[in-house]
Amino acid sequence: MIKQLSVFLENRPGRLANLLDVLERHNIKVLAMGIAEAGNYGIVRLIVDRKGEALEVLRGANMAVNETNVIAISLNDLSSAVRTLGKANINIDYAYTMDCQRVILKVNNEAEAIKALSGAGIRALDV
Amino acid sequence: MCTYKLSRSELVELQNKRLRWLVKYVFERSPFYRRRFIENGIDPESIRTKEDLRRMPFTTKADLRDNYPLGLVSSDLSQIVRFHASSGTTGNPTVVAYTKQDVESWAELNARCLEIAGVTPKDVVQVSYGYGLFTGGLGLHYGAERLGAKVIPASTGNTKRQLKLMKDLGTTVICCTPSYGLFLAESARDEGLDPKRDLKLRVGVFGAEPWSENTRRRLEEQFVESAHDIYGMSELNGPGVAMECVMKDGLHVWEDHYIVEIIDPNTGEVLEPGEKGEMAVTTIMKEGMPLLRYRTRDITILDDEPCECGLNHARIKRILGRTDDMLKIRGICVFPSQVEEILMKTEGVSPHYQLIVDREGVMDRLMVRVEVSEDFKTDRLTDLVNLQQKLEEELKDTLSIHAVVELVEPKKLPRSEGKAQRIIDMRKI
Repeated sequence: MIKQLSVFLENRPGRLANLLDVLERHNIKVLAMGIAEAGNYGIVRLIVDRKGEALEVLRGANMAVNETNVIAISLNDLSSAVRTLGKANINIDYAYTMDCQRVILKVNNEAEAIKALSGAGIRALDV
Repeated sequence: MCTYKLSRSELVELQNKRLRWLVKYVFERSPFYRRRFIENGIDPESIRTKEDLRRMPFTTKADLRDNYPLGLVSSDLSQIVRFHASSGTTGNPTVVAYTKQDVESWAELNARCLEIAGVTPKDVVQVSYGYGLFTGGLGLHYGAERLGAKVIPASTGNTKRQLKLMKDLGTTVICCTPSYGLFLAESARDEGLDPKRDLKLRVGVFGAEPWSENTRRRLEEQFVESAHDIYGMSELNGPGVAMECVMKDGLHVWEDHYIVEIIDPNTGEVLEPGEKGEMAVTTIMKEGMPLLRYRTRDITILDDEPCECGLNHARIKRILGRTDDMLKIRGICVFPSQVEEILMKTEGVSPHYQLIVDREGVMDRLMVRVEVSEDFKTDRLTDLVNLQQKLEEELKDTLSIHAVVELVEPKKLPRSEGKAQRIIDMRKI
């Protein structure tokens, strides 16, 4: 299981740049990113290399940010993983890719999901 | 406390006596009021009681502006020892003038206000209202000094220094606007202080803008032990016209100095206790610039039942809105306080908001911009959409018109150190 940062942002030009600037200033690398938007605002989901520090600097910059557990799997395992989770009645809330090789999955029950995946021979990856 | 603990009938008798003095005084000394009496065919001798007062026309802010700067001064100018002025955002500022006796009375009334909120000479009172032409700072300063407390004349601004003074001098009473109180609490937390643990604030005296019961809850959870509403305006001396006692169930009006009437803002008709309307005030002790039936533009309800605290001075409900703050949107009256009440009780948003009204074609639109609180925990868009919808539904239920809620990032809305600028009406531009 890995940790994702979820940041509330207004849906306006420059807000995402501001978020990434803050991370860059502290030499924090973004490994994966997904955006969900609803009109005037959205949530930016990030996997970063130094999560603890990222959390601190983003809060210091007055951003509404929190952590969420997500699962990373290999892109090669995608279809069998999705099938396995479906059979185990586990829902995928959202997903996005990471570096063309991995997929980040947010499910409604991480522990059950990891158990089901490993039962099917699919390994949850580290960052 | 005994000096102002009169029975109800003694109070009314005193009011009528002082009213008779006032009417004679302004008729003899004020060209403005003398003309008013003559033009309306009113014999000043015939105004003997509060009920007779109803025959007098109202005095309005426009009268003050039209007679700028000193046309409503009744006393001899040589007797004036002080001027204050309110901001002139819509034309000339309003100048008010005080005699030595007026400054004395004003200090006495503010001392009473502090006393009935539980402030004692042992307290350290930090006055974080603006000092200067604005009456808030000096009014409470004089009151606290009169009470014999230790005063820190911090004035507004420099929030870091405010917090440092509170901590280092052991401030036990803070006087400021409620929005600045919340901002101070927020800033204290940013500095790593827990105001409830690291500061010793017992009593908060919050005024100069309308606030809600939910704001009280927040202020008492996050900042002070007990939050009290104070009411006043420069035309009526300044702060100290009315104050919440320890019961916190309405603000006692100092009726030995002021006669309060609640009127229908449209017809001018006097309403019964319990009915909501605009407050009109007659100053029965002021010498410098006394006012008869001054329309405050503040909306409230009068309650003349005795209070459990033992005082017989009638109470007004906390100010429900202002006739000129009131937004008319598609013919419906909207008060910012109604919006505030809803935001305050909703988890996930901060108490900072802005109301923006504009017009699309012939339709007025209301937008409520509100900050997502920093500790709002979600990675799911649906939670935000639900929050937005819930707020829109509650606003619709309360205001009877649709308002669009726009969620903005934490600390993005402007903070103010005086009165909060919460309304942007773009229809006028």
